[in-house]
Amino acid sequence: MSKKKKIQDYSQDFLKKLLDEMLLCRRFEELTGKKYGLREIVGFCHLYIGQEAVTSGSIGALDLSKDYVLTGYRDHAHALCCGSSPNTLMAELYGKVTGCSRGKGGSMHFFDAKNHMFGGNGIVGGQIPVATGVAFKIRYNKEDGVVLCYFGDGAIHQGAFHESLNLAKIWQLPIVYICENNQYGMGTDYRRVSSVHDFSIMANSYGLTGRRVDNGMDVLEVYEEVKEAVELARKSGEATLLDIRTYRYKGHSMSDPAKYRTKEELQEFKGKDPILTLKSELLEAKIITEDEFKEMDQKCKAVCDAAVNFAKESAEPGLETMYEDILV
Amino acid sequence: MFTKYHPTKGEMLQILSPEGKIINTKFQPEISTEKVLQAYKLMVYTRTVDLKTVSYQRQGRMYTYAPNFGQEASMIGTGFHMNQEDWLVPSYREMGAFFHRGVTPTDIWLYWGGHEDGAKFPKATNTLPISVPIASQIIHAAGIGYGLKLQKQKGIVYTYFGDGGTSEGDFHAGLNFASVWKAPVIFICQNNQYAISLRQEKQMASSNIAIKSLAYGMPGIQVDGNDFFACYSATQKAAQHIEEGKGPVLIEALTYRRGAHTTADDPSRYRSKEEEKIWEEKDPILRLKRYLVAQKLWSEEDDTKLTQQYEEEVEAEFLEYEKYPPYELNDVFQYLYNTMPDDLVKQKQEYEKYLAWKESRS
Repeated sequence: MSKKKKIQDYSQDFLKKLLDEMLLCRRFEELTGKKYGLREIVGFCHLYIGQEAVTSGSIGALDLSKDYVLTGYRDHAHALCCGSSPNTLMAELYGKVTGCSRGKGGSMHFFDAKNHMFGGNGIVGGQIPVATGVAFKIRYNKEDGVVLCYFGDGAIHQGAFHESLNLAKIWQLPIVYICENNQYGMGTDYRRVSSVHDFSIMANSYGLTGRRVDNGMDVLEVYEEVKEAVELARKSGEATLLDIRTYRYKGHSMSDPAKYRTKEELQEFKGKDPILTLKSELLEAKIITEDEFKEMDQKCKAVCDAAVNFAKESAEPGLETMYEDILV
Repeated sequence: MFTKYHPTKGEMLQILSPEGKIINTKFQPEISTEKVLQAYKLMVYTRTVDLKTVSYQRQGRMYTYAPNFGQEASMIGTGFHMNQEDWLVPSYREMGAFFHRGVTPTDIWLYWGGHEDGAKFPKATNTLPISVPIASQIIHAAGIGYGLKLQKQKGIVYTYFGDGGTSEGDFHAGLNFASVWKAPVIFICQNNQYAISLRQEKQMASSNIAIKSLAYGMPGIQVDGNDFFACYSATQKAAQHIEEGKGPVLIEALTYRRGAHTTADDPSRYRSKEEEKIWEEKDPILRLKRYLVAQKLWSEEDDTKLTQQYEEEVEAEFLEYEKYPPYELNDVFQYLYNTMPDDLVKQKQEYEKYLAWKESRS
């Protein structure tokens, strides 16, 4: 049941923005991976490559002047889509004082209050009750915003998920829970840790609406599904649980060679690549040309290169900052 | 049964009406008359111990206690199905199920009296101690079930929790793991409609608790928890389901706690006399008695005699319990580790020093 409209029914600017954003995320992650390999970036690092349609499509359905985004540790693309500057994000990866978390958070703890990106959380499922609390703030202050809360297929079995969804329903909180189901909780196939293979069913436990989005590799599918859920949350304070099917091309983290899956499976999903899919649709509809795409790509690469330079030139945080930013 | 009473349909399994009449012959359990009488007596016994314990507490002869009054069918209707090789993984309001396994009132009093011996149950096997932290026992049940399966042992794990417990994360993790491992566990929610003082509808928006089973791909059923037959019948079906290797089941027994949450609670502050009256009419013991009397298996006279006999027995046992030697003060350091870690050894030594100092001053 595709909710996607005809490509001509979307504004060209919007479509180009989605493509540009996904491309930026891809190039940012590729460069991050490369710099990690060179040991310029250290620590934990989880790349988002392959899943770009989920963040672009879903955050594209928000009004970030009043809405909020919270996610787990695979958080680079979320921050980029919220409009955080690639410079401060790269600086964060390099552990520099100019980073979005002043160089003390690293890859898993991107945070950008101004752009309503409230983390980045290293604890599996830890962001779910925090996001629920942000939605409670919106309800309590009678604001108009909506929260998007992302987590993986592994995190869905955490108790915090269960407790949060129950509260979201009884308190009528404006939140959309997005399970970015990339099908592996680290190296464990999601079917091995759950006897329910369609997580949207879990919404029944709380009297909430749940939907599975089969083609989470298609940015416009994601956009339409999330838009519907966001509107429902904004209008009636009704939360939705979305099980969005996606795929990460890289390992769980930099130390994972992903030997638990087949090459064929990876190839199959690469065949549904979110960027190539949108690109070919836009080419076909004559919304962009191949040259324009190349130019867009060059720009993204240049932005990422500049971000690395910015990060490298920045200073490390001073020793005294160790004690700052912990307690208000 | 699990299809007919699928939780999405919102129908509750009831076999015995509050008037004591069989209204559903299709799902009547397979149970002998003799066993029904035995279960009835256990229900009466449990209530006797329960009411007397509350009164001992009021007399200052017991510490805090969590009453069971009104939930006898829900705990015994399910627990009575347990066999020797099965496991009881309880919370703290399943006294009838405890007695079925051979736990004695003395054990229960020792527990609430703060004595570590109250967690030992010398006459019962495969029975875990009372668990006060809400829902923590659910993951233990899943683990024991998984263990039984790995070791290819016979037995089913019966675990209990309340409606409040289902809002805990451990409920979610426990049911998921039990289901994905197809562990032999019957999850029994005694839904007495109040989590302490919080009414069910303020705690969750789910249409019923059985529906939560859907999230874990296991059957779930809501039964009348004040109806012994409905509870027994659903448990029998659940056990069958497990024996066929199909994994766990969630049973929601809808009941009512006629007493307080604990002796430190005053229910008149959150529920009405009218509501209590309605549930008095649906009382599980009264209902089964009406049935047994109508079947000419029991009489009011038998009942008076039995209650009196139990009261005397319990009174005598409590007097004995009061002579039980007090626990050793050092007990607080025991039972946590096989070999005590250094910091605990140090604390114990400090404590002993303190006791010696205290002794020298008196």
